[in-house]
Amino acid sequence: MQVDDRNIEFDSDGFMIEPALWDDAVASAIASEEGIDEMSEEHWRIVKFIREYWLENGLAPPVRMMCQEVGVGLRQIYKLFTAGPARGACRVAGLPKPDGCV
Amino acid sequence: MSKPREGNEARPQRGVDEAMGAEQMERAAVSALNEAVRGLGAYHMNACVKCGLCGETCHIYRADPTPENLPAVKADKVMSFYRRYHTLSGRIAPFLFGARSMTPEVLEDLVDDVYGRCTCCGRCGLHCSVGLDIASTIVTGRRILAATGKVPADLQAVVKNQLETGNQMAITQDELKSTTEWIAEDLKLEMDADVQIPVDAVGKRILYLINPREVKFFPLSLLAAAGVFHAAGEEWTLSSRFYDVTNYGLFSGDQQAAAAITRQVMEEAEALGVEEVILSECGHGFRAFRWEGPNWLGESYEVPMRSVLDLLLEYLDAGRIQVDPARNEARVTLHDPCNLVRWGGVSEQQREILQRVVSDFQEMVPNRENNFCCGGGGGALSMSEYGEIRVGSGQTKVDQIKKTGAKIVATPCHNCADQLLDLSKQHKLGLDIQSVVELVFNALVLD
Repeated sequence: MQVDDRNIEFDSDGFMIEPALWDDAVASAIASEEGIDEMSEEHWRIVKFIREYWLENGLAPPVRMMCQEVGVGLRQIYKLFTAGPARGACRVAGLPKPDGCV
Repeated sequence: MSKPREGNEARPQRGVDEAMGAEQMERAAVSALNEAVRGLGAYHMNACVKCGLCGETCHIYRADPTPENLPAVKADKVMSFYRRYHTLSGRIAPFLFGARSMTPEVLEDLVDDVYGRCTCCGRCGLHCSVGLDIASTIVTGRRILAATGKVPADLQAVVKNQLETGNQMAITQDELKSTTEWIAEDLKLEMDADVQIPVDAVGKRILYLINPREVKFFPLSLLAAAGVFHAAGEEWTLSSRFYDVTNYGLFSGDQQAAAAITRQVMEEAEALGVEEVILSECGHGFRAFRWEGPNWLGESYEVPMRSVLDLLLEYLDAGRIQVDPARNEARVTLHDPCNLVRWGGVSEQQREILQRVVSDFQEMVPNRENNFCCGGGGGALSMSEYGEIRVGSGQTKVDQIKKTGAKIVATPCHNCADQLLDLSKQHKLGLDIQSVVELVFNALVLD
């Protein structure tokens, strides 16, 4: 994927191979692949929270924290990210694929 | 700035046994092979007539019809070991009879075939002209690779999580409790009733096992189940330690791990004093716990076990819950998870339920035990390196879904749900993937 003049690479699951290259422009580009034409303020708040949590803890936050910390309802998050919190929101936040059945 | 992947530092890389020498590896491999081919296993290893009929039955071959994707070709790589170690001709003149020794290189070469290009869905076996259980031959390959430390690292990490933390996503007990409390609060508002999600309650009728995905990323199915249990007046509990309905030992081929995972859950069921264990909608979890578990343990369970689909149908039959199909107006189709339906024998329950809770139910064709795998089975979702094959092999399923005209796909399996979500995204289908219990919950009529 070309973002500005950078070549951003993904694993065959669509998650960033080099998460350190992530920034707002990359997030917007991945989001557009997710069918999100324009990141709303709610999208950004969720994505930024996931990103910060991951930088601190080295793993993806549970959806409970995404909702409670950002103040969105559970059903709302699946509308914002139709691929769900893992393959949708975590991917936009530039995380590697979370472990397990997701 | 770049952080390691979850649990990376402790993650065993492929070949935990780098130290295992070639001879030692061959011994371990032969021992795994011998164990797998006892009894009828030997027939399945040495009777393929190379008719090629299995090709069109396989979702992976259909998406990419190269010879190496033919089920018979994949399975023959495992069968070649049988010929080498169990037939006179293969022992004397291996090169004449396509018999291969299990050298480190040969075993390494098998990894992509049995983990990456087969989901062990079993559809080929159903159509095999001589009735071979081809998928189980592939599983024999996985058992050999598990015995020699060659399970793909991501898949092995899931098994390790299960053994070390009790659940495949390494969710802490505190997090489970926080999440269940949070969902219960939501549910109280949605149902306008004092709904609880009991955790570690002793002496309830049911221990409900769930997929950790329902805790970490997709709690709507747990919310729905709790809502339906409340409406039916059920006495139930979750366990904070061993609630995981999955068993990735089934996928990795490590039967010792699979047995240990089964044992920890069944001991918990006995400790909690429940009358029965109910398995949430998880295809391989049902197969592993309901059918394989007693074989792994070498004994039958003390506590009986059923799928939640049986329970939901029982509620409907007994009038313990009231539903109105008009609440689910949109057309719904049903994807049959291979491990639940073809391997597990649970086929009619989900249909009878859907007929009663949705207004417009449209079967996809083929269905039931003849359904096509979605492409996400066999642990494929956990192995990133095979992502392209996985998504590509979903083409048959995409075509099936499109023909139904449905925008909602019900599937009683969280693993299939993830794959179907991915397919929906890749093909821009705009599908809504729901578990059966979510549709039941949505149709509930409360007094």
